[in-house]
Amino acid sequence: MAKKQLYWKGEEELLRSKEFLASQKNEFNEALPLDEVFSENDLGLNSNRRDFLKFFGFSVAAVSLAACNKAPVRNIVPYLVKPEEITPGVANYYNSTCGACSSACGVTVKTREGRPIKVDGNVNSPISGGGLCATGQASILSLYDTERLDGPKKVNGSNLESTDWASLDTAVTAQLNAIQIAGGKVAIVSGTIHSPSTLAVINDFKTKYTNTTHITYDAMGYSGILMANKASFGDDKGFIPSYNFDKANVVVSFGADFLGTWISPVEYTKAWSAKRKVDGISADGKVLKTIIFESNLSLTGTNADYRFPMKTSQEAVYIVALYNNLATLAGVAQLPMTKTGELAGGAIKQTAESLWKEKGASMVISGSNDPKIQSVVNGINLLLNNYGTTIDLENHSNQYKGFDADFIQFSNELNSGVYQGVIFMNSNPVYTSPLSEKISAGLKKAKLSVSFAGTADETAMHCQYIAPDNHYLESWNDAEPKAGLFQLTQPTISEVFDTRQAQTSLLTWAGLAAKPANDPFEHKGIYSQKLSASVYYMYIKSKWAAILEDASDEAFNTALHDGGNFDKYKKKPSSVPAFAIALNSLVADLEKTVGKKEEIDLVLYQNISVKDGSLSNNPWLQETPDPMSKVTWDNYISLPKALAESKDIKNGDMVNITLGAISMKGMPVFVQPGQSNGTIGVAVGYGRQGKVGEKGVFDAIGKNAYPFLTLQNGTYSTVTNGVKIEKIAGAYELAQTQTHHSIEGRDIVRETTLGEIKTNPKAGNDAAAPHLYTLWETKDYKKDGAPNHHWAMAIDLNACTGCGSCVVSCSIENNVPVVGRAEVRRRREMHWMRIDRYFTFENVNNTDYTKELFLSRDFEGKNVTKETGLAALDKLESAKKGAEYTYWENVKVVHQPMMCQHCGQAPCETVCPVLATTHSSEGLNQMTYNRCIGTKYCANNCPYKVRRFNWFRYNDNDRFDFHFNNDLGKMVINPDVTVRTRGVMEKCSMCVQSIQGAKTKAKREKRTLADGEIKTACQRSCPANAIVFGDVNDENSEVRKLFKNERSYRVLEELNTMTAVKYLVKVRDTEKQA
Amino acid sequence: MVKHLIKKHLKVKSIVFSIVCLLNLSFNAQLGLAAEAAKLSAQATEGEKLFKANCTSCHAMDIKQVGPALQGVHTRRSEEWLVKWIRNNEKLRASGDKDAIAVFNENNKVAMNLFENLSEDQVKSIVTYFKEWTAPVKAKPADGETAPKANFYSETTLYILGFLMVILLVVLLILRRTKNSLKQSLKEIEGEVKEIAEPSAFQEKLAYYKKRTNPTIFKLGVGIIILLLLASYGFYFGVTEVGVQQGYRPEQPIKYSHKIHAGELQIDCKYCHSTAEKSKQASVPSVNTCMNCHKAVQLRDRYEGEISPEIKKIYAAMDYNAEDQTYGNNPKPIRWIRIHNLPDHAFFNHSMHVKGAGVTCQTCHGPIQTMEVVEQYSTLQMAWCINCHKERKIDVENNPYYEKLHAKIKQEKDNKSSTYSKYFTKDGKIDISPAQNGALECSKCHY
Repeated sequence: MAKKQLYWKGEEELLRSKEFLASQKNEFNEALPLDEVFSENDLGLNSNRRDFLKFFGFSVAAVSLAACNKAPVRNIVPYLVKPEEITPGVANYYNSTCGACSSACGVTVKTREGRPIKVDGNVNSPISGGGLCATGQASILSLYDTERLDGPKKVNGSNLESTDWASLDTAVTAQLNAIQIAGGKVAIVSGTIHSPSTLAVINDFKTKYTNTTHITYDAMGYSGILMANKASFGDDKGFIPSYNFDKANVVVSFGADFLGTWISPVEYTKAWSAKRKVDGISADGKVLKTIIFESNLSLTGTNADYRFPMKTSQEAVYIVALYNNLATLAGVAQLPMTKTGELAGGAIKQTAESLWKEKGASMVISGSNDPKIQSVVNGINLLLNNYGTTIDLENHSNQYKGFDADFIQFSNELNSGVYQGVIFMNSNPVYTSPLSEKISAGLKKAKLSVSFAGTADETAMHCQYIAPDNHYLESWNDAEPKAGLFQLTQPTISEVFDTRQAQTSLLTWAGLAAKPANDPFEHKGIYSQKLSASVYYMYIKSKWAAILEDASDEAFNTALHDGGNFDKYKKKPSSVPAFAIALNSLVADLEKTVGKKEEIDLVLYQNISVKDGSLSNNPWLQETPDPMSKVTWDNYISLPKALAESKDIKNGDMVNITLGAISMKGMPVFVQPGQSNGTIGVAVGYGRQGKVGEKGVFDAIGKNAYPFLTLQNGTYSTVTNGVKIEKIAGAYELAQTQTHHSIEGRDIVRETTLGEIKTNPKAGNDAAAPHLYTLWETKDYKKDGAPNHHWAMAIDLNACTGCGSCVVSCSIENNVPVVGRAEVRRRREMHWMRIDRYFTFENVNNTDYTKELFLSRDFEGKNVTKETGLAALDKLESAKKGAEYTYWENVKVVHQPMMCQHCGQAPCETVCPVLATTHSSEGLNQMTYNRCIGTKYCANNCPYKVRRFNWFRYNDNDRFDFHFNNDLGKMVINPDVTVRTRGVMEKCSMCVQSIQGAKTKAKREKRTLADGEIKTACQRSCPANAIVFGDVNDENSEVRKLFKNERSYRVLEELNTMTAVKYLVKVRDTEKQA
Repeated sequence: MVKHLIKKHLKVKSIVFSIVCLLNLSFNAQLGLAAEAAKLSAQATEGEKLFKANCTSCHAMDIKQVGPALQGVHTRRSEEWLVKWIRNNEKLRASGDKDAIAVFNENNKVAMNLFENLSEDQVKSIVTYFKEWTAPVKAKPADGETAPKANFYSETTLYILGFLMVILLVVLLILRRTKNSLKQSLKEIEGEVKEIAEPSAFQEKLAYYKKRTNPTIFKLGVGIIILLLLASYGFYFGVTEVGVQQGYRPEQPIKYSHKIHAGELQIDCKYCHSTAEKSKQASVPSVNTCMNCHKAVQLRDRYEGEISPEIKKIYAAMDYNAEDQTYGNNPKPIRWIRIHNLPDHAFFNHSMHVKGAGVTCQTCHGPIQTMEVVEQYSTLQMAWCINCHKERKIDVENNPYYEKLHAKIKQEKDNKSSTYSKYFTKDGKIDISPAQNGALECSKCHY
């Protein structure tokens, strides 16, 4: 048996501060405000017997009055003419394309009575493959956002004046014509558009207004790759290639978080996890070995087999070193770089060797936006023969197409008066660009400025008009995320507000929006139902005749039904391109990018939920904890331990960071294990201003980090060397979810290495079976075995990346309320599902720092009490304080989704005084809200800490203004799940509504239930296929097979809870410690 | 005087007695003479089925609807003609058949559906049904349900009678008291000396306890007992009455009668409540469903050539102009009043019960086909749900969904220690209720 690994959840647990130990032993995070309640002064009341009688009398009277009240009259309002496809009470599903970012995952939208309530991945989509990220899941709530504009607006200073479409069209068209006559230019500034029809619309617009230029601008773009590919392989190759993770055996990433946010994370996660399967692996079998060099601890970093902390400003040095190592192996000339370097332990050399072993089946990628660095990366991949196999230029991606240089030129020309008209489409440069001030100043000079933004965002507030575009769930559109892969977007609800599709607006202004003769949406009489989208619908249909090579309605409708031309999508054969660049010529530029080692690097990143900030007004995303820090509702400065110690900064302190004239003041600090020494990180996407935040809660969450983007070799770099950090007075408590429970040194996550699992399938899972005993009699149904079903779930820790998509999906499916920052600080988050993140130190210099620091000597195998904990702490304080902190940047991470384990013998059930939580014959631990009186005994007795107490009526309380408390936001509520009121416990139900729905269907149709027919919300959303739900009574079910898998184990099995959830041991490909 | 008093006393007694007798009589009165259905031949029964499945949306036997009343149609037309007409009336009309064209014109030129999917024999069986059909004597409540509540006496009369009885009893007591006091004074006048009786053993005991009991505690105790009684009544009231709307029959915006549609016209429930087999909700039909028939059925004959005012409300909802048969642009949805209000945390699925378990509509909704105004027939309390889940049986033999359960029960039949051996009747038939299969578990209905 391998040495037992020790894990910790956060710095405070590892170091066991006195406060932490004390707080962990208390039932509540903060002292109950008993003094307040009992002190007469605070209540301002002199409570005495008379008052008591008064209150008593009043309550009795009030209750009796309330009881006299007859039940309110409720109405049923049936359709006048029921649409044929709608059956009240039965959901409809439509395939469409996600519009949350330009990755364009294929999605399936669930609607009830004509309103979308859930978005899941379309299983047939080559991009999403049935998974979807947290952002995509949550994007549905932006449809029901009260901040959306209710119609076209004219901007007057900081006020918005309502106008109507006709007068807006007249004004805009007049200006466009005037600009054309005056010889001025018009710019359409958009995020990446790969919709063939939208591009055609823009071309049509250009035909009418010949002075128009289309500028593509991505907030966090990939200009570096685009430019490098142009330079390396010719002008016609200026795009992002397809990265085939499923064909690689080794992937080396320099700061590219391909599982979290890089280009198309859902697609990559799907392929990555498929290539990491270890079951039944042969002795020479391979999994996708993942090696990452990075500064900030990213999602990919936590899942990598080897993670090497790196100062990103030194990236050029290490990439050239890798090139040179490979060049030596390949026998070609090295690059003459004067600055050379190697990481501790010869990491670069060893990486080169593993890559060379997998020549043709490896991949090197970089998150850098520097075209020169990307060119070297291309050179490395060519040395490794990766083009044509793992990297495919023929079936390239269209997901990001923006060149920073175009946008910089535009900003200059806007100020010099070349551009007199600007149209912003899905683009918000005043917020996202470091040229923000230049753009807003330029917009004042323009004769015409229009934004298609759906909300009054920063850029829109600097324009003259806002012509709000539809939400993507109200729109017709198409997409071509990969060359030859065409997808369709269809509306799943008619426009909620008086908005109009941007494409229809452009066509109208170009005079091309004539109503088609046979408009299918134009009916007579009461059938009249107009969609502004219909003009564009006809347009798409005509374009698709060519795409499908079939003009028939049937062909189009089939594609619409499927979500795209998936059955016709065939990949072209891929080849090795000719390399057209002399890498030697780049060396001088590369040398310049290398930062000073002693200065601090600032590395900007997108987090997995808020991403670039375009959906920052989405409470579901704000409340999704960051997978690494578990912080919600804020961005923060992520500090390495060494820097924090040297500057005497602790968690909860505040700092200013400055870079020349740019600064961020009063930022909270989070000491992040795994943050590379000499670097700090901060997430973009926060600090939104403009009209968005006016209503209060969303007002400037966090601070804007976009101004720190700096130009480097012609593109915007996320890395800058030489920032200054300075501690200031004040404290700020981040709303973190990780510290809400403690691990107490228990065996909760298990991992092993690939080498071990090959020889011993039970490796890492061979702990002696605990002696089990129980106080309770075995119930009847258990004795005989449940005859019908026994629902169960298996979660593969080896596949799970911790991306958080399931957390959001679960919240949407089960009407889980958002509680906000203040309540999260009080440990009152409501998420039914959380992803626990466990750290452990990598062995550095043969020292097990976890063991050194973690006071396991005192705890192992013993009961932990407050007293022993505090005694151990004193011991630590007298022990030597770490002189160097290299081990702090070398952490390994395991993610573990945790939700109700549906124990066969549940500790919660035995303590409930009112039988509100009981067991079903199908193995479910049932929670009956209407019986619950809120004693919280169950939560106390739950060893997994998965029960959540509902403290407020979140759906009807203005203190929780998170869309759930207004009529529009309530449209997203799943009608099949109770909206819980305050005062009750709630927890994961294993999506019992889906189970009951599928069972009913099977009984009605007189057939048995098929395996895989029921999918829980978390399972549906998982891009890594880590979660499998099913019936263990079914001999052929997937979950039964996994339950018998040697890697499967139950968490806290020694408690004999007989959980219905089993986990599969994580396997890392680290036979050889680097 | 005494005699007189006694006489009066007797008189009162007799009155009370007669009232009680009267009440008893009315209680015992039996109502609901269920008529026996006319026995049909096998062919006609087949025909009846087909008729109900295909024709009743437009035809009734005794009343003219969209199509003519079909009572005695076999005497008016030959069987051969009827078969041709029913299977393809268009063809018959095209062939120039005078009768056919006349029928078409008589019925507002509304074309009848074609039924070429029915074989000639099937159509003949329908005609046989026409022949054998006799008007029902009285609508029989479906599915052996209890007869509708008799309306012979109303509840109000009952209350009035009860109230009178209470008053009479009070009068009786007062009279008795007066009589006794008069008797006493009579004795005194007659000089009879009142005897002071020795206190009995019981009275002595009572006096002893009285002495020992603190009067305050005694009063408090009595008070608490009364309070407890009141509280338990309150609890009972809360459990049985609060939120229970049994008998709730609000006035609906349109005086739609289930008695006419479901009872007399025998339109299948699922013609209008079409989602009952597919969805959680049985759903109130969309207004276009009403228009299917009421575009033609206007009942002008009953309203002096005018459209029935209730049907006019449908037209108003659809903004339909009956004169030129056009729809306007100002439709207004109908706001029906919801009668069956389940709490939000209880999920009841119609399709499971109607299609999955084969429960008839009347089991829960009562004799809906006799209700002029619909009322809530059942309590809709949880106990009511549970009762049914305990009493009904699961058809494990004929639904493959229960394959495993069925096999297990059969396998464990003789294993007396197994729970499954309980699921048999004495004669060895499988007998398992939903409750025994987990239908009483919380999350089957609450999630």
